[in-house]
Amino acid sequence: MGAVELLQFALAGLKNGAIYALVALGFTLVYAATGAINFAQGEFYMLGGMLSVWAYAGLGLPLPLAGLVGVAMTALVGGVFELLAVRPRKDGDLLAIIIITVGGSMVLSSAARHLFGPLEKALPAFTSTGTVSIFGAVLEIQSLWILGLTTLAVVALWYLYNRTSLGRAMRACAVNRDAARLVGIDPRRIVTVSFMLAAALGALAGLAVTPLTQTAFDVGPSVGIKGFAAAILGGLGNPIAAVAGGIVLGMLESMSIAFISSTYKDAIALVVLLGVLFWRPQGIFGASRREKV
Amino acid sequence: MVKRPDIRLIAIVAIALVAVFALPMLTSERYLLRVFTFVGVNVIIITGMALLFGYAGQVSLGHAAFYGIGAYASAFAVLTLGWPWVAGVALALVLTAVGGLLLALPSLRLKGHYLAMATLGFGEIMKVVFVEARPVTGGPDGLSGIPYPTLGPLEFDTAGTAYWLVWGVAAVALLLAYNVVRSRAGRAMRALHGSELGATACGIDITGVKVRVFVISAALAGLAGALYAHVVGFVSPSTFSLHVSVLLVAMAVLGGTGSLAGPVIATVILTLIPYSDAVIPGLSRTALETIQEWQEDIYGLTIIAVMLFVPGGIGSLIRRIFPERGDAG
Repeated sequence: MGAVELLQFALAGLKNGAIYALVALGFTLVYAATGAINFAQGEFYMLGGMLSVWAYAGLGLPLPLAGLVGVAMTALVGGVFELLAVRPRKDGDLLAIIIITVGGSMVLSSAARHLFGPLEKALPAFTSTGTVSIFGAVLEIQSLWILGLTTLAVVALWYLYNRTSLGRAMRACAVNRDAARLVGIDPRRIVTVSFMLAAALGALAGLAVTPLTQTAFDVGPSVGIKGFAAAILGGLGNPIAAVAGGIVLGMLESMSIAFISSTYKDAIALVVLLGVLFWRPQGIFGASRREKV
Repeated sequence: MVKRPDIRLIAIVAIALVAVFALPMLTSERYLLRVFTFVGVNVIIITGMALLFGYAGQVSLGHAAFYGIGAYASAFAVLTLGWPWVAGVALALVLTAVGGLLLALPSLRLKGHYLAMATLGFGEIMKVVFVEARPVTGGPDGLSGIPYPTLGPLEFDTAGTAYWLVWGVAAVALLLAYNVVRSRAGRAMRALHGSELGATACGIDITGVKVRVFVISAALAGLAGALYAHVVGFVSPSTFSLHVSVLLVAMAVLGGTGSLAGPVIATVILTLIPYSDAVIPGLSRTALETIQEWQEDIYGLTIIAVMLFVPGGIGSLIRRIFPERGDAG
């Protein structure tokens, strides 16, 4: 295999990895706030694409505004879902929250089918359908958008986490909820905000991908599982590790197509998921922790 | 403490048993029997899920994979290898039990809900394998022309006999689970449901108990698969998707914790929803289509509503009616 072909596969891996990274960040945010896995995360990705299509084709808004509406509405859905379905379970039992999000995932994808129909939807490319050549490898302009938006989202999240009082409160809750409450932080508000942010990040990924791959009501679970694998790979609860996990996973998938075959491409993420769960559950970037009784 | 068996309870179980086994004599309508055969297949799977969720406090998002492994293993053994059906069932049981063990051992050693995620990943891998391993599974088209179950000279080749076979196996599975629940292992499970720390302090090997329960539940799903494949005569990957795993979770959740009767009732209700026309005579076609159109919403909302408002599910409602029954049953 020539260097150009290899670069071509690496670029494709980077693009997919950026998508997985955004979805993985969503898992990480909710995990940090609640300790639970949000199985509805993939549906936020689906809603981001579907609602943007609706705003663009249905309401006739210009594309940038339609995208903004799609992401904002998905964030709203995430917040409402938390308020209606997660918060009422006051004991915060982890198994219960996990099961609730499994049910929520079903309801959200079904609602999207009722509202927008079962057919695939498309968006035009953000700026141009053309490609650029990087050392001979070809990359769609839209892929540059994906990489750019992911970078922007990560920087914005970093700023939020490290430079704002809301971010400090979120980090405090992740470390110790009761202690956070003692210094005047309402952990319930942090959980709602985390769900909204997770929904927005997933929606951004779904929006950015729709011009390339189209979207439909049932795309959520498969992307959700890959994003989750990326989050586990990096180490749950650490945003930087989630991004790194996403990129590594995208690269692994791409390289497996390049060197093995495309047949089992979708299984790579799952094998990685099981492998990490079994051998290094704290993730490749996570510090080893001892469980205390 | 030994509890006196409740007369009302014995009466209800006896009536239910008679009603279940008399159905093929009361009706010859094939559709109705087919639908209730599906219910029986799901009851076999749910018996294992009830032990896993309702007693061991774990949730699996990949039981459709074990269901599928059982179905494909037995279909392959009979169709391609020419084995008798019983040998196909044995292969299904062995494969699913070993698969369950290999999946449960590493994920249950860890604290937290790693099993949910590991089973989710496992289920999705098997979905890919069912489609891609063409020589064994027939690829996306699946396998067809699978012969009816046979036991020596007996052939279960009518809707009525297939129904009896499935419900007979379901009754045995439930009896087995009832004994597990009332045994030392069952007490251990109830103890760890109360407090894992306390159970450990009492010398209970909580990981061992959970692993054993998971293996039983995987094998029961495999058994159900081996029945399904031969009763229906056809298997394809879509029957064993994540969607089915989630539906099974909905049944276990609605059925509730610490109960076997609750999950059975939940399974009957939720399995019948898309086949409402079989039990409601004169249901119009549009009404049925509306129900089928909204079944996903019904399942999803059921899961959420139960977790929020009746965390103990139907099982806890039954305990309210029969308080003297305690935790078992």
